[in-house]
Amino acid sequence: MFDTTSGGARIELDGLTKRYPGQAEPAVDGVTLDIPAGELVVFVGPSGCGKTTTMKMINRLIEPTSGTIRIGGTDVLAMRPDELRRHIGYVIQQIGLFPHLTIAENVGLVPGLLKWSKDKIARRVDELLELVGLDPASYRGRYPRQLSGGQQQRIGVARALAADPPVMLMDEPFGATDPITRERLQNEFLRLQRELRKTIIFVTHDFEEAIKLGDRIAVLRESSRIAQYDTPARILAAPADDYVAGFIGSDATLKRLALIPVSVLSPSTSTSTSTTDGLPQIAGSATLRQALDAMVAHGRQEIAVDGRVVTFAEICATVTGEQAGVAGERPVSGVR
Amino acid sequence: MSGETRTASAPPSTISSPGATAAEPGGRRRPALRYLGTPLALAAVLLVLYLWVSGQTLDSIEQRTMNWEYIHTRVLEHLQLTAVATLLVVIIAIPAGILLSRPGARLLSPVVLGLANLGQATPAIGLLALLTIQFGIGFKIALVGLIAYAVLPVLRNTIIGIQQVDPALIEAARGMGMTRGQVLRRVEIKLAVPVILAGLRTALVMAVGVATLATFVNAGGLGDIIVNGIKLQRTPVLVTGGVLTAVIAFLVDWLGGVTENALRPRGI
Repeated sequence: MFDTTSGGARIELDGLTKRYPGQAEPAVDGVTLDIPAGELVVFVGPSGCGKTTTMKMINRLIEPTSGTIRIGGTDVLAMRPDELRRHIGYVIQQIGLFPHLTIAENVGLVPGLLKWSKDKIARRVDELLELVGLDPASYRGRYPRQLSGGQQQRIGVARALAADPPVMLMDEPFGATDPITRERLQNEFLRLQRELRKTIIFVTHDFEEAIKLGDRIAVLRESSRIAQYDTPARILAAPADDYVAGFIGSDATLKRLALIPVSVLSPSTSTSTSTTDGLPQIAGSATLRQALDAMVAHGRQEIAVDGRVVTFAEICATVTGEQAGVAGERPVSGVR
Repeated sequence: MSGETRTASAPPSTISSPGATAAEPGGRRRPALRYLGTPLALAAVLLVLYLWVSGQTLDSIEQRTMNWEYIHTRVLEHLQLTAVATLLVVIIAIPAGILLSRPGARLLSPVVLGLANLGQATPAIGLLALLTIQFGIGFKIALVGLIAYAVLPVLRNTIIGIQQVDPALIEAARGMGMTRGQVLRRVEIKLAVPVILAGLRTALVMAVGVATLATFVNAGGLGDIIVNGIKLQRTPVLVTGGVLTAVIAFLVDWLGGVTENALRPRGI
């Protein structure tokens, strides 16, 4: 269907515009964006900035007024909308599981629309339930109302992945869950995405979530105009303007530290020769923010990480070093 | 409109049947034992009626009505009127309701609902009188009156049942690549089934009641017995007609409840 690389397909938006009749301002004004295959791009912006409208134009739930959309080189606007949507995963905040269908029927819905054989659908459903961590034997015959909110959203993600689409659109998928469930869902989702490498557009108004999940973030202002489009680390280090800076908040440095695992500090840079005896301990998978947190909590300038010492000065050096553009890439592991 | 005060037209959201007990939270099926209550109670009522009538000495006028053959025929006529009218209401009102729930019919829907409201607000006896002046008497005329009266709850519940489907579900369905027809057949109608059935149950019970008026257009039914009882001032006759009508209404309502539970999609 689309040209794909490593599970995902490139998405190119060019001059994408939506005008509603009778409104002076366009809802979406000339969005031009290139999303590399296999990347997770977060659209973040205040309510009503047009981020959801922009996303819904990609699967044509909303028809653009002008502009072009290409997925894997294919012009999406030339396709039949229903056919197009069967090849794009779609997850919404309200989840939208069909209450009268079992979990298996919900997950197998798009493959059914694509006329897969019953056997193939059944195998795929089991595979997906495994993937999202729900035992197929005990869950496939249940109904959505028998599941918790978190489990339902896992099924929502599994359903979107059912026909193995190269592109997924996710509209605040974890927005309606409690903070603990949300964090767990985010972590599972990151793990999944590392494995699947889909091209994902993820809409949220939560900047923390954007930093945590995004390979890149598009910070949008009204009419979906792009204020900045870059990796989380670079947006935090160098916000394009006051609007973006305002969105980040006053703790940009702390947010950046949360993106960096303590493992980036190589043992050779350690200037301290003292032993780790008596120092507060943190795990090697922790982030610099967690290391700093432990220091502040214990009133120390040094803490022990996996048998070696990390100092406050080292953490500061990482941040100033990054500012010079040393480490723009987002770390792959170690983020909570 | 006077129709607004009646059972079926007043509630803004959904119309439930008189005495409906089926809408339990979570929609769990009731154990079979609980289904037996109504039939047992109705059987007891009939038994008491039989014993009471048997204890009376009936005069010759009463005997002309109070014999098995006469009662049997009237009950069958009554059931036939009710069943045929309800069947026609289903054939008319459910497809019409589905069509009127489509976004394209947004302007038409209030007009048709207004008409249906009128059908119900008009006193059935008046409507029957008018129909008789124009078209004569008989089974068909009684049917027309019954249908005009019973269309509203089914029509309205079909429209409401489809419109109340969570928009997020429809968005999810469209977003997954279902066509509009697939969304209607596989999501909207399926989820509207409980509400449509509740409307149908209301219509059935109303039809049982209104079918007593068929006697005025010479279409038989239990109305014959009741009217005999009133005109001839014979209490046992009147009571028998009234109780039988009520028992049938309760029985039909009970059957409706059982059907609702059986046809309601699992999971909702």
